[in-house]
Amino acid sequence: MKKFSKIFVISYCFSFFFFQTIFAGTVVDKFKIEGIRTIASTKALQSELLKKLDIKILDLNLKSTDSGWPVLRVEYDPEIVTRTKIETAIGEIEDPAGHNYKVHKGPLNANANLIEEENQAMMKFGDLTMDLKQVNNPTVDFDSSIKRGKDMFIKNCAKCHGLNGNGYGVVAHGFTTWPRQLWAWYKADSAADSYLYWIIENGKSDMPPWGLVLSEEERWDLINYIKTIKKPEGN
Amino acid sequence: MAEKIRPPRIRVSRRIKKNKVFKVKVKFDHPSFTGLAMADDTSDPVFNRAIPVTFIRNMLVYYGDELVSRLRLSSGIADEPLFTFKLKAIKEAPVKVVFIDNFGKRWEASKEIKFKG
Repeated sequence: MKKFSKIFVISYCFSFFFFQTIFAGTVVDKFKIEGIRTIASTKALQSELLKKLDIKILDLNLKSTDSGWPVLRVEYDPEIVTRTKIETAIGEIEDPAGHNYKVHKGPLNANANLIEEENQAMMKFGDLTMDLKQVNNPTVDFDSSIKRGKDMFIKNCAKCHGLNGNGYGVVAHGFTTWPRQLWAWYKADSAADSYLYWIIENGKSDMPPWGLVLSEEERWDLINYIKTIKKPEGN
Repeated sequence: MAEKIRPPRIRVSRRIKKNKVFKVKVKFDHPSFTGLAMADDTSDPVFNRAIPVTFIRNMLVYYGDELVSRLRLSSGIADEPLFTFKLKAIKEAPVKVVFIDNFGKRWEASKEIKFKG
C-alpha cells in the first residue's frame, strides 16, 4: 500500500510540474478579423502571424460565429505577448492582393439609426400596411413538418436571421433594419399564425416576399419550425 | 470601388417650360460594397464577412419644400451611381436631392429651377 501511495505522489508531482511548465500562464483569446476576402488571404494571415509572434493559432472560424465576423482563436503567453501586440501585428499584415487585415472593433450593426429626415420621409412614403387574414394551420404531422421547416430555414432564412435565429446572419449587417430575432415566437400559439404567415408571404422591410418562392405547405413548415427556436445562451 | 466620397452634383435640362416634364441627373461618388467575400466555398453559407458594408441607404428628392420622392437603396447599387429622373415643372423652386448612407451621414445638392421660354 505504501509503495502504491509513493508512486501516486511521485506521478502526481511529476504531472503537475510537467503541465505547469508546458501550459504555464497561457491564455486563449479571440479576435474578430476584417479583411479575409479570399482563400489565399485566409492562409496568408495565419502564416504571417506565426512568423511575427510566438503564439499558437488554434483555429479560424469564418462563418459560424455569433457576430458573423470571422474569429481567430489564439493561444499565447501573456508575459511574452499581449493582446495589443497581436492586434498591431494583424494590422501590419498584408494579404496577397495588398489589403491590410484589421481586428474588428466596431458595432455589431454597421447600420446607423435612421435620422429624423428619413423617419419623416418614411411616414410619407412608408411600407405597405399589413392586411392580416385569419388563417388556420393545416399541419397534421408536426414532427415531419418541423424537420422540413428546419431544412428550409437553413437553406433560405439563416443567411439573414442566423443559424440559431438570433438575427446575426452573415448578410444581415447590410440591411436598413436588423433581422428579427426569431425566438420571440418560441412556443407561440395560433394567435401568431396570421402575422407569421403574412410576413413570410409578403416580406417586410428588407425581407423579400417568400410567397413568390415557397408553397403554402412550405410556409406552414417554416412557421412550425420557427415556433421551436429557443433563445440561444449568451445572446 | 470608389475610395473617396465626393459631394453629389445635379444637372437639369437647359430649357424648362412651365407644366412640362424636365429631366434631372444626379451623380454621387460614393462606394457601394456588400462587405461579403467568399474565402471558403465548401461550406454553407458560402459568404463570410470581409469588410464593413457601405452603401447609400436613402435618397430623398425635394421640389421646393415638398418631399416628392424617396428611393430606398441597398448595397446592390453601383459605385458612384448616376440617377436620372423626371419632374413636372409646376413652380420655380429649387430641386434638392439628399443622400443618407448606412452610417447615417448626410449629403445634399440642389439646383434652382427657372422657366425659360
